[in-house]
Formats: sequence, C-alpha cells, structure tokens
Amino acid sequence: MSRVFRRGPAVVEANLTPMIDMTFLLIVFFVLVSRISEVENVRMELPKPEDPATVPPPEEGRVVLNILPGADGAAEGYRVGATEFAPTPEGRDALRAHLGGLFRQNPEIAVNLRADRSTAYAEVAPALEAVSAASRESEMPGAARINLVVLHEERGPRRP
Amino acid sequence: MSERGTSKAISRRARPQMSLNLTPMIDVVFQLLVYFLVSTNFAQGEQVYRVDLPERKDGAASDPFRLDEEPLRIELLPAAEGAVAIRLDGPWPQPGDFASLEEFLRSRRLDADQPQGLFAPDHPIVVAPAGKVRWDQTVDAFNAVVRAGFTHVSFAELP
Repeated sequence: MSRVFRRGPAVVEANLTPMIDMTFLLIVFFVLVSRISEVENVRMELPKPEDPATVPPPEEGRVVLNILPGADGAAEGYRVGATEFAPTPEGRDALRAHLGGLFRQNPEIAVNLRADRSTAYAEVAPALEAVSAASRESEMPGAARINLVVLHEERGPRRP
Repeated sequence: MSERGTSKAISRRARPQMSLNLTPMIDVVFQLLVYFLVSTNFAQGEQVYRVDLPERKDGAASDPFRLDEEPLRIELLPAAEGAVAIRLDGPWPQPGDFASLEEFLRSRRLDADQPQGLFAPDHPIVVAPAGKVRWDQTVDAFNAVVRAGFTHVSFAELP
C-alpha cells in the first residue's frame, strides 16, 4: 500500500442518486397522468368537419362520455370516466343511472361526447338519450349540456 | 506571503462554504418542461360543439299565447358507397351536400339584413339521421346548421 493511496487505488464512480431521483419522479408523474388521459381520451378518429363553428372545450365541470369504436360502425361500449357500459339495453340503463348520479352531485356539469367518425348514429343516439333522460330524472334545473368533441385544425381564415 | 496563505487556509477550514447542488433539480425541471411542451400539443386539436338537448316536456311553464314552432327536420339517409342523402322535411329545395344545406339555411334565416327570412335564429332545428349514418356525417350536418347561424339544434331520437 502506497503512501499516497492509503486505501488502495482510487475508484471512479458516478453518483447515481440524481438519476434515480429523476426517474422516480418521472415514473410517478407518468403513472398519474397516463391513467387520466388514457381513460378519458380513448384513441379514436374524431370527426373533422370543414370550417367547424366550434369553441374550445370548457375546462371545468365536465364528464367525458366515450363511445368505444368497434368494427363496421358498431360500438364496443360506452365509457364514462373509468366505468364501462355494454352497448345493450341493460348497459344503457346503467349508463343513464350512472349519469343521473353525476348530475345529482353537480348539476352544472357538461357531458363531452366523443365518438369515432365511422360510428353509426344508431350507437350514438342511445347515448344522447341516456344523457337527456338522466338530466330529466335527476331533476336538475334546465337541460343537460352536451358538447360534441371534434377535431379542429387551424387552416387559414374561415369562410364568412 | 506565506503568512497570508496560512491564515486564508485556516479561515476556509473554520467556515466551510455550503453550496446546494442544483443539477438534479434542473434535470427534473427540464424533463417536466419538455414533457408538458410535447404532451399539450396532442389535446389541442379537440374542440366542441355545444348542443342544447330538447328541454324536458313536463313542468316547464309555457306561454299559452305562443304556439310551439314546428321544428325544421333535416333527415339524413344513407346512400350508396357510404355517402349520405340530405332530405329537408317540407316544401323546400333539397340540398345536395352540406355546403348547399348551409347556404339554404342561411338564406332563410330571419335577421336584420333579411326581414323576409322564414326562420328566426332560435327556430328549433332537428337533425334526424338514420341509424346507419356515420357520426362524422351527422356532425357535418350539425356544423352546417350551426354555421348558418341557428342556435337551437337538436338530434332526433331513432325511429
């Protein structure tokens, strides 16, 4: 053992603590965020009308009602938050009851309806009716507010 | 010279400099910043139409001197090759596409410029698609009505 290196030769090692800190933070963040966005933003092809007369979605008090796209215009189900409902009469009744409960908690909420562009209207109409019936049954003042979610792309000035 | 050097060394040993290592925090902040910059772009393309569903029929006080207006029904029927046929309920010229539907509605709207217009902007308009009509075609029809300046648009129930 030399006089200079009393504890043996010097060892070079990277300090891994910051990287682990960062990685844990990112993991926690992604776990929290991805759960919300995946549940509410189901992957689908939203309708993209030309020159849409739309407004940016309101931030507060919303419920996202997804119509899960199936093959050939059918729907695989309805999803509100993390709860899924089957596209059967029983499923639609359950959907109505679930929405009714949400309306009773907060009558101000608006329902954002997301449906794939190829979904047949026969699958969308029951969802609209369920929202309408739920708002009637929960005896909220006024009618339910529904927002139809579409894709909007900035493409030059609008036609007058 | 040597005296000054030793005194400096002593004082340094007596009061050690504290310094915070900011590198990990900056790392994390940059990561989050980049993530938010990238991820907020995804949701930006989504916008909404506000729909007024038909008011409930019972309980609401109604003016007995005001007649219920007959809503204008826009029926959408499936046509060949995934296309859609637009049919206006009533003695109206039948529009061939959504642009001419919008043109028709705009030309019949009652406002200050068109006192001879037939439909007030709050005239109820019902979009009635058949069950097989695709959702984007339904939204196109809705868009045409909203762009023509009408505010009371609703969807019909399925027959």
